[in-house]
Amino acid sequence: MTSPLVAALLVLLLVAAGTVVWLRDPLSTVVAFGVYSLGMAMLWAVFRAPDVGMTEAAVGAGVTTALFLVAVVRTGAADPGDTQSRSRAVWRSRAVWRSRPDWRSIAVVGGLVAALLWTVPALPAVGTSAVPPSQQVGPAYVERASALGVDNVVTAVLVAFRGFDTFGEVVVVYAAGVAVLLVFDGEVVG
Amino acid sequence: MSDGDPASPGVSGEPRERPPDSPVVTTTVRLLVPFVVTFGLYTMFHGTSSVGGGFQGGVVVAAGVIAIAFAFGLDRTGGWLRPGALVVLPAAGVLGFAFVAGGPLVLGAAFLDLSAYPVAKAVVFGVEAVELCIGATVATTVVLLFRSLGGG
Repeated sequence: MTSPLVAALLVLLLVAAGTVVWLRDPLSTVVAFGVYSLGMAMLWAVFRAPDVGMTEAAVGAGVTTALFLVAVVRTGAADPGDTQSRSRAVWRSRAVWRSRPDWRSIAVVGGLVAALLWTVPALPAVGTSAVPPSQQVGPAYVERASALGVDNVVTAVLVAFRGFDTFGEVVVVYAAGVAVLLVFDGEVVG
Repeated sequence: MSDGDPASPGVSGEPRERPPDSPVVTTTVRLLVPFVVTFGLYTMFHGTSSVGGGFQGGVVVAAGVIAIAFAFGLDRTGGWLRPGALVVLPAAGVLGFAFVAGGPLVLGAAFLDLSAYPVAKAVVFGVEAVELCIGATVATTVVLLFRSLGGG
């Protein structure tokens, strides 16, 4: 049912996600988070969504990791000389193990996980054509995109068919840049 | 704009000195970055025929700049970047998109109706132009985010 490759990637994702939670050192956490993103990117590629995979690899594993690293360093949360010993000290102190479990938190998290897992059997199989999008809009987009001469249907949808959305997205990116300039730099053009 | 003063104290209170760059890192980055940027541009230019587009290509180009910053230091890299370009290019991308999208209005068609342009394969070239504009905005904005966050 599930190919060994997908299973291995899912295990990698679970391990990486768990590592992100368990590590106490911010720098190590950021690196583990990057590994998680890279696993996601590979999973998207396996699921034949290379556009999403590329975005995940570039934004999730690349740029976000870099931004987090800079933020950690700039806020002084990282202590480059002492990272390893500090991590070990946290592990040795076993504060994590000694702390009492908060049963209410466990109940809430457990309930949420159970509710989400309960919906999983209702999901259609990966790549199935038995869902409305694959029967109605999907084929129409594929047909019209090739008629326009745009071979990458994702691009055709993004720019040709849903161009207004994409225009808004670009403006959002631009607004983010303006906001960052205003917050961090004050004077914009030197 | 980032003053590049190596003795200016960081947030943690200690001077922001860098350990000497490892030649392995700097040489690798020197060799890789041209290919990374080329790949990003390729992704932008070939948005209609292969994987990716302006968003992905722009981020890949920005990742090349970020790799340079990691190898050679934020302050030095910030000094190499032209602040004017970082402010103008994101706006130029948005305006270019608006220009390409608004052109059909002049020709009597609807906003974003790229097929109204009287050239062969108008939609393909129109989409490519839009992808380049998106790439310009995304790449420079990401670099801007990184520089502002790191160089403050």
